[in-house]
Amino acid sequence: MNNRSSPQSLGRNALIGLVLIFFLTPPVWLVLSSFKPLEEIFAWPPHLFPDHATLANYVASWSQSHFSRFFENSAFVSVLSAALSVVISVMAGYGLSKFRFKGETLVFLLIMSALMIPLQIILIPIFLVLRDLHLLNTLWGVILAPAATPTSVFIMRQYIRNIPDSLIEAARIDAASEWRILWRIIVPLSIPAIATLTAFNFVWRWNDFLWPFLIISDQDNWTVQLALASNVGQWDINWPRLLSMSVMSLLPTLVLFVSLQRFFMSGLLAGAVKE
Amino acid sequence: MSVLRIEAETGRSGEASPPVVRRAIGRTMFPYLLLAPTVGLLCVFTFYPLIQGFWMAFFKRGVVVADRVPATWPKYVGFHNFTNLLGNEEFLVTLAKTVGFVCAAVPLLTLVSLVLALLLKPAFRGVGIVRAVVFFPSMVSLLIIGITWKWMLGYNSGIVNYLLSVFNVAPVPWLESDLLSQIAVVLVWVWANAGFFMMIFIAGLTTIPETLYEAALVDGTSRWRTFCRITLPLLAPTVALVVILSSVEAFKVYELVLALTAGGPGRSTVYLIQLIYETAFNKPAQAGIAAAQSLVLFVILFVLTIAQLRMARSDR
Repeated sequence: MNNRSSPQSLGRNALIGLVLIFFLTPPVWLVLSSFKPLEEIFAWPPHLFPDHATLANYVASWSQSHFSRFFENSAFVSVLSAALSVVISVMAGYGLSKFRFKGETLVFLLIMSALMIPLQIILIPIFLVLRDLHLLNTLWGVILAPAATPTSVFIMRQYIRNIPDSLIEAARIDAASEWRILWRIIVPLSIPAIATLTAFNFVWRWNDFLWPFLIISDQDNWTVQLALASNVGQWDINWPRLLSMSVMSLLPTLVLFVSLQRFFMSGLLAGAVKE
Repeated sequence: MSVLRIEAETGRSGEASPPVVRRAIGRTMFPYLLLAPTVGLLCVFTFYPLIQGFWMAFFKRGVVVADRVPATWPKYVGFHNFTNLLGNEEFLVTLAKTVGFVCAAVPLLTLVSLVLALLLKPAFRGVGIVRAVVFFPSMVSLLIIGITWKWMLGYNSGIVNYLLSVFNVAPVPWLESDLLSQIAVVLVWVWANAGFFMMIFIAGLTTIPETLYEAALVDGTSRWRTFCRITLPLLAPTVALVVILSSVEAFKVYELVLALTAGGPGRSTVYLIQLIYETAFNKPAQAGIAAAQSLVLFVILFVLTIAQLRMARSDR
């Protein structure tokens, strides 16, 4: 509509430039700082780029501070919990979209009402439940407890709804078992939704702080978020270590986001709900 | 978990081909099997704890009831925990602060994400990348965002104060003063969440028919007038959605604060979740009071969610 060189579009472009600077500066500054040796990191006036870029901070936190261990724990928890989440959400979404059964509405409302009950308000009783199930201080506790996510169920239900009933009917006539229909027809046709949800759930679990904070006490079982919180909570913060840890914790999210950006930003519009 | 085991076993028996009658029964049972793991996990890790939380709010007790520590034994106290809250200055101050945080952060967030959406809705070369850059922070853990900004807002070495010094502004004690640290939490929270809500606004903007804008253009209506007369009224449901969703998020603010200020300086940025956690786990025999505090927060979130559901219904 607008002429390219009109003052209006010039103003727009300037604004967009400002937005970019505003949103890019923090992550870029985080990454650049993490490569600076200790004597440069507090330099005044600060230099944008490190004069003597070094990986020493990374090496130190990865091996000496056991960050490799926390990274492994986080990866283990996020992968398994996301997988479990997606599997049970595909099942629930299929059940809610393609079957008529007694209590259907009730079950749907029940699952959705869980959205109103965030972990934050049931901290104490959930702590007791986990203790009674002997899941305290285990990674399995962190995997199982947050695995049922209403958002995922809802997105799967909406997606599977659009798969034609005729495909399922045809398979039934061929005497395919119900599980086989789910595995051979529903799952392959839902791959885009499944991919989106897997990525989302992985990121949610990777970013989780409160769940592991509540469940894990032993440092051997720490996730990266617990390690970060412990390091930022110290009175005398070891910034080179903390910054390099933060960058490493960002990497999986960044890689997923860059490679699946289209999925992230469209799946979001379908669900439009944050965990 | 037993739920998962049941599911695995039926999975196996379903592979064999049973007689027709069993098959029909199997089919009526099938949807329940599909839903069992989700409902089971929610019952164990959400609904049961919620009910137990209600129940606990009527007792004086410790989180863990220890046989040897009489102070932790549950003792029924009726509504005492709730009346206690009304006279509990720490709770009232924290509640007021949390409400204040929400009232400052939510309007600012709504405004910022709406402006971003208006700016980034029209297609131009690279719009996808710009949107992705703005959106990315909402994919990152709030702890890391808190750490990043704590690093940037440092008094002596932070880049923000350095940039201000270029313009001859004296260093600002962002995280060292009561008021400024509260402002810093609001600003960083808005920075972290703006991209997510911008995408919701962009989705809302795409539902406004283009023909309306064309008509306004033909009529020679000014841009501001077009915005006030067309965009804003038709965007009202989206605005309401953003306000409610972000209010729910704002009431739950915790991780960001933990990294950025740890509740300090003093207790100036302690909000509800942190208070509940500390009451439950750091103070002896106050689990009942913490449960009562949780219940207050639950009622707030419940009302907000109901409002959202009612709107979603009237939308259709």
